[in-house]
Amino acid sequence: MTITEMDRPRTVQPTSSSSVQRTLGTVALYGITLVSMILIAFPAYWLVTTALKYEVDTIVTPPLIVPLRITFENFVAVLNANDIDRYFFNSIVIALAATGLSVLLGSMAAYALSQSYLSFAIRRGLMVWILVTRIFPPVTTAIPYFVIIRSLRLSDTHAALIVTYVAYGLPFVIWLMLGFFQDMPQEIDKAAIVDGCSLWQRFSQVILPLALPGVAVTAIFAFIYSWNEFLYASMLTSFHAKTLPVVISGYMSDKFLRWGEMTALASLMILPVMIFAGLTQRYLVRGLTFGAVKE
Amino acid sequence: MSPAAQLVNRLRRTGALPPVVIQTHRRERLMSWLFLAPAVLFLLVTSVYPLLYSLRLSFFAWNMNVPNSQPRYIGLDNYTRLFQDPAFLSSIRITLIFVITAVTVEFLLGMALALLATSRIRAIGLIRTVLLIPLMMTPVVAGVLWRTLYHSTYGAINYFIGFLGIPPQTWIGDPAQALPAVITVEVWQQLPVVVFILAAGIQSLPLDLYKAAHVDGASAWQIFREITLPLLRPVILVVLLLRIMDAFRIFDIIYTLTFGGPGRTTEVLSMLIYKTGLQFFQIGQASAMSWLFLLFIFLISIFFIRELQRRTP
Repeated sequence: MTITEMDRPRTVQPTSSSSVQRTLGTVALYGITLVSMILIAFPAYWLVTTALKYEVDTIVTPPLIVPLRITFENFVAVLNANDIDRYFFNSIVIALAATGLSVLLGSMAAYALSQSYLSFAIRRGLMVWILVTRIFPPVTTAIPYFVIIRSLRLSDTHAALIVTYVAYGLPFVIWLMLGFFQDMPQEIDKAAIVDGCSLWQRFSQVILPLALPGVAVTAIFAFIYSWNEFLYASMLTSFHAKTLPVVISGYMSDKFLRWGEMTALASLMILPVMIFAGLTQRYLVRGLTFGAVKE
Repeated sequence: MSPAAQLVNRLRRTGALPPVVIQTHRRERLMSWLFLAPAVLFLLVTSVYPLLYSLRLSFFAWNMNVPNSQPRYIGLDNYTRLFQDPAFLSSIRITLIFVITAVTVEFLLGMALALLATSRIRAIGLIRTVLLIPLMMTPVVAGVLWRTLYHSTYGAINYFIGFLGIPPQTWIGDPAQALPAVITVEVWQQLPVVVFILAAGIQSLPLDLYKAAHVDGASAWQIFREITLPLLRPVILVVLLLRIMDAFRIFDIIYTLTFGGPGRTTEVLSMLIYKTGLQFFQIGQASAMSWLFLLFIFLISIFFIRELQRRTP
């Protein structure tokens, strides 16, 4: 990480202090940082070590903070469990489909909003409406969704969940892609217009390829949301379309104390998310604030 | 204004606008609508329609548990009954306690960590990596994980507090401790959001002010209070707005940790709506609750958005 103007520290920097005081201050800062990082990271450590313990070692008093012996039997057991491959498949397919669809429709809509062929009022209204749909707690639309999906006989189908996730992802994709499109220099668009490109040509052959990092980041955020979603998955699926979060929560009721297996599945489940999260670090703040704060 | 529109305007002013350009402009406007249409239609069908349907349902009594039951129109009865329902009122109280406590703690701790991350020690890489863990963890996974941590016999938390001389607690089984326990998990998961946003905000502040302050011999606390804090106000508002809106939406963690219990001590509004509508299938009443919930959140958001628009130049 190169040291730029922005990287230079700017907060805790007392001026008139002796170098001993300064060193003590630095040590204290490092100490606080270390302690807080250990506290924050501990649950994740607990998750992974529990997954690596023998099942009997997970329920001992006092609990084994550092496992004396590790095994991969939990992972083996979980991957051999009934229908687990179906549930993995469901999670992957549903998340990919929902991501693909929402990114496609959302990017197109965002591009149209970034051009100003439509009146300012319409664009403003749409953006506000889209922001509003993001505010709603999922539970508030869960009830009508449940009734509607059931009446359409679409319970326990992949389609129902995909549609749900696209509905929730679209506002986010539109806002995020709008930000990315607005960040792009206007000269490119102008040059394309002068060259006689239509809107679709500009979109597909010029702007989209250039906005690929933005598309990738948006897609990853959308994927993570669909992958992690629980309420609608548990409500709308029972077997055929059941996804991993529902499986995990199932461990709490039936196999209450099979912590080894449960944490093994949980560790496998959060692995893609962690990897993707690492890839999108640069745009994290933009994704978290819905584009309001740019990195 | 878009580059295309700029070009068109410039040409129009010079009176050199051939008919083909006007036609192209019209075609582009049509294409814009076509680009927008799929997303707008999709949202209309999947967001607006269910909400309106839910509004309609809230004026009916309908118990889906009873086979072949039909909704029965009862006007505003669902709503009036709610305001006298102790469960609903308690749920509002619990939700407010949850949101206010969680967001306050997150903000204070988050600000502290953000200051640490942007201070003279080069820890921002470490802090960012570690904070990604709770942030990206599936909420359901966080819930079951913390349930094992909170376990009264085999949990790690009781083990560690033993070193401080504190006897083992029941945590999520204890009516007085369940809500704080849940709040702790939520804070653990969402703290990174506050840290990342505030740190980004701090890093975007102009360096010259800080240099001048050092030359003037200001202490660290003075710098924080007089420079950092006021300049960060818009970012702080964004963070608070986001966190408050998101805290209201809590569900997965409470579902897996306590399911609203023990008793009703962690029954936030989203849990109550879930139980009413998807456990007891009182569809009409659950819909009425949902709409009151929506209205409440909407009003709060409007307040914050207006504050934000006032303070951002």
